[in-house]
Amino acid sequence: MQSRRHFLRGAGTLTAAVAAATVSKVAMAALPEPVSQASPNTMPPLLPRTGRPYNPVVTLNGWTLPWRMNNGVKEFHLVAEPVEREMAPGFKAHLWGYNGQSPGPTIEVVEGDRVRVFVTNRLPEHTSVHWHGQRLPNGMDGVSGLTQKSIQPGKTYVYEFVARRPGTFMYHPHADEMTQMAMGMMGFWVTHPKTRHPLIEEVDRDFCFLLNAYDIDPGSYTPKIMTMLDFNLWSWNSRIFPGIDTLNVRQNDKVRIRVGNLTMTNHPIHLHGHEFTVTGTDGGPTPTGSRWPEVTADIGVGQMRQIEFLADEEGDWAIHCHKSHHTMNAMGHEVPTMIGVDHRGIAKQITQLVPDYMVMGERGMADMGEMEMPIPDNTARMMTGQGPFGGVEMGGMFSVLKVRKNQKPGDYKDPGWFKHPQGTVAFEYNGALAKPARFQSKGGQTMPRAQPDSPPVEVKVRKPVGHADH
Amino acid sequence: MSAVHSTLRSTRSLAISGLAVVLLAGCASFSQDGGFNSVATTARERLKKEVMWSRSDADQDTIAQRVAELLSKPLSVDAAVQLALLNNRGLQAAFADLAISESDLVQAGRLPNPRFAMLRGSQSGPDGREYSIEQAITFNLFSLVTMPQVSAIERRRFEQTQRMVSLEMLRLASETRKTYYTALAAEQSVRYALQVRRAAEASAELARRMAQVGNFNKLQQAREQGFYADAALGSARAEQASVASREQLTRLLGLWGQQAQFTLPERLPDLPQAPNELPNVEQMAMTQRLDVQAIRLQTEALANNLGLTKTTRFINVLEFGPTRMLEGKADAGYKKGYEVSFELPLFDWGTAKVAKAEALYMQSLNIAAQTAINARSEVREAYQGYRSSYDIARHYRDEIMPIKNRISEENQLRYNGMLIGVFDLLADARAQVASVNSTIEALRDFWIAEADLEMALIGKPKLNPPTRSMAASNAD
Ligand SMILES: [Cu+2]
Repeated sequence: MQSRRHFLRGAGTLTAAVAAATVSKVAMAALPEPVSQASPNTMPPLLPRTGRPYNPVVTLNGWTLPWRMNNGVKEFHLVAEPVEREMAPGFKAHLWGYNGQSPGPTIEVVEGDRVRVFVTNRLPEHTSVHWHGQRLPNGMDGVSGLTQKSIQPGKTYVYEFVARRPGTFMYHPHADEMTQMAMGMMGFWVTHPKTRHPLIEEVDRDFCFLLNAYDIDPGSYTPKIMTMLDFNLWSWNSRIFPGIDTLNVRQNDKVRIRVGNLTMTNHPIHLHGHEFTVTGTDGGPTPTGSRWPEVTADIGVGQMRQIEFLADEEGDWAIHCHKSHHTMNAMGHEVPTMIGVDHRGIAKQITQLVPDYMVMGERGMADMGEMEMPIPDNTARMMTGQGPFGGVEMGGMFSVLKVRKNQKPGDYKDPGWFKHPQGTVAFEYNGALAKPARFQSKGGQTMPRAQPDSPPVEVKVRKPVGHADH
Repeated sequence: MSAVHSTLRSTRSLAISGLAVVLLAGCASFSQDGGFNSVATTARERLKKEVMWSRSDADQDTIAQRVAELLSKPLSVDAAVQLALLNNRGLQAAFADLAISESDLVQAGRLPNPRFAMLRGSQSGPDGREYSIEQAITFNLFSLVTMPQVSAIERRRFEQTQRMVSLEMLRLASETRKTYYTALAAEQSVRYALQVRRAAEASAELARRMAQVGNFNKLQQAREQGFYADAALGSARAEQASVASREQLTRLLGLWGQQAQFTLPERLPDLPQAPNELPNVEQMAMTQRLDVQAIRLQTEALANNLGLTKTTRFINVLEFGPTRMLEGKADAGYKKGYEVSFELPLFDWGTAKVAKAEALYMQSLNIAAQTAINARSEVREAYQGYRSSYDIARHYRDEIMPIKNRISEENQLRYNGMLIGVFDLLADARAQVASVNSTIEALRDFWIAEADLEMALIGKPKLNPPTRSMAASNAD
């Protein structure tokens, strides 16, 4: 028991899972005890107590899987199982994951480590694990049918290989992949360099998260696995804003963020206030000569990107996917645009039939963030999150990089809202406004038109005036 | 011939005793109530209502007063039935049958008029004129013999008339009840059809404004206008159905002029807690149904007729009376005596009459059997209809409406979350209202089925085929 307690230490809120009835206790005795995580919070980095030393990563709203050393081999135990994941406070999803969470725990090893991963299947169907980006023997690549037999429910398989190449990797099933990835089966893998690497810089903070997407009907819990592109929940590590933790750093920290994309579309991840460089991909560290400054890195499907920057600007800086629908939570994609539609008279008429009716969208969608009206159970509001100046009107793939002077090294706690120095916040202008000068020239025509223009359609645009109608 | 003699002999003694009976009992007379009491009793016992036979201006005034009273507030179903019983002229016309039938009864109990016959002959004889004069007052003795039987037959027929009039009254009550529910439900449906129309109108107007600011194209706008056009048609049809059923009710209630502006309650009565359990419904029908009783009495009457025809088949007329006769000279003086005459069935042995009576009797027996079979079947059907329409109405109330409400609530939540748009919300409101309509119709069908069951237990019902919900077809 002593060894087990030692084995569990330092991993935050960890609970030893009860072995499922389907897995024999005798067989389990020879394995590292599977460790399960109940909390969706960001766990502090797992400092290595055994094996080669390294500088650990912090998994956003996640954790790192503890291991045991067995005759020089690093042994991990992954348990594939159904999990309940809190995607945002008040909104839970029934997913499949590993060791109590989706995504599964991050596996951290050091270049040259011999790694043995026990994978126990507690799913209702067979599975397998593919180690995305790793150099390994073909029979360890985890493509069921092609390189191995699939792991039947209740069975445990062992994968063993040397982590040959330092870098950022993922793991995910390669058996009924469509279902299992849509259900949230995925995890991060980081192989740290053994020694100083010319292309891998030492950093003060190293964050990682996976991009994933779900289609969960408002009011339900289980993702619709058949959805191909029209997802309604865009998440980082199966969390949606305001459920995504902030990235808290000390001013002038060298920061690395590792992002992997397991959705079915690309995500331009954009950071405010700083320039970064892409220092690595799934293929390894990028040569310095190919690096150029960016504020947005597009992360393609099935790709990983490591971005690095010096967090030298104090403040609360947004970091988000630049596809604006990806910073929304569940919304109706067929809802008609109501902007500028005059509701006078009609609203009252509708209220006679639908007593709780309220006009929304007449001015835009920001109404959504303002009106806290009841919505279906277990549904995250479309745009929400309160900042120090009001509604942030964001959801999905959005978080905040908090750069503070007095954030202690190794401290990942949220420092609260930024206190802006005097005169550094945008302010209202109260002066007079001159009439705008409009450009008057008709300009030339590139090609004469065969037919004359039809008379212009007269469109009545409602100007933003009073909004007393509801 | 001996048979004739013996018949004649027995007839004579009968005739004398019959005469005595007639003289003692006096003539049959008109009753105080004209047979109306039994009808009134039926109304009281079976319907808990009163009927009045308007035979005078005073009666008419009383009825008019009661009618005005009943019309002063929204009509309940009981008030409607009461109104029909008092005010329906067809029913008053049926009451006249009572008087007609009673007249026949009274007539049957009266002595036939005596017959006076005279023969006068004269010729010149050697001694002057000689006369032959015969004078006779004869009386159809046979009518005395048959009078009790004929009276009994007429009494039965009178009773049967009372039953028929009662049945007519019950039918009117049942018809009124059913029409009342139909009219009431139709008025309710009109209100909901107007709501659908308003929802569609709001959609169409909103779509127009959407198009005006450029958010909708012509196709989207036309689609919403199409919903509105359909809804307007639906509400016009509902209006039409409502007018028709209300007019039918107006006719049954015998109303006209200002009276036709009567008001009905806002909504149908609620479904009872539980349906009535009637395990021996067929037995009840056999003992209670007036049509079954009537056909039984008719059959009995025909049996008596048959007996009478059999006993009298040889005697068409038997007449008896005093005569006097003078022969010879006028002063020779009358001889007194009596005359008996009867017809001899030389050519008519009465067999045809008996055969006819027998056939009528047999026919009646079969009709009675068929009536009983029909009655049992009708009451079974009516009870089944009553139970199933109860289940359907309850299903609408306890299952369909709560689910529809839940759908509406969820849609509202989805609208709040901008997961659906206002047009989805309005479409849901339309669907919602349509199911309210179906619920109303199911409730209406239950109350009509209940009226049918009540009728089936006391008389021949006019069973409706199960009605298909109109709202359901309008729903989408
Ligand atoms: Cu995105």
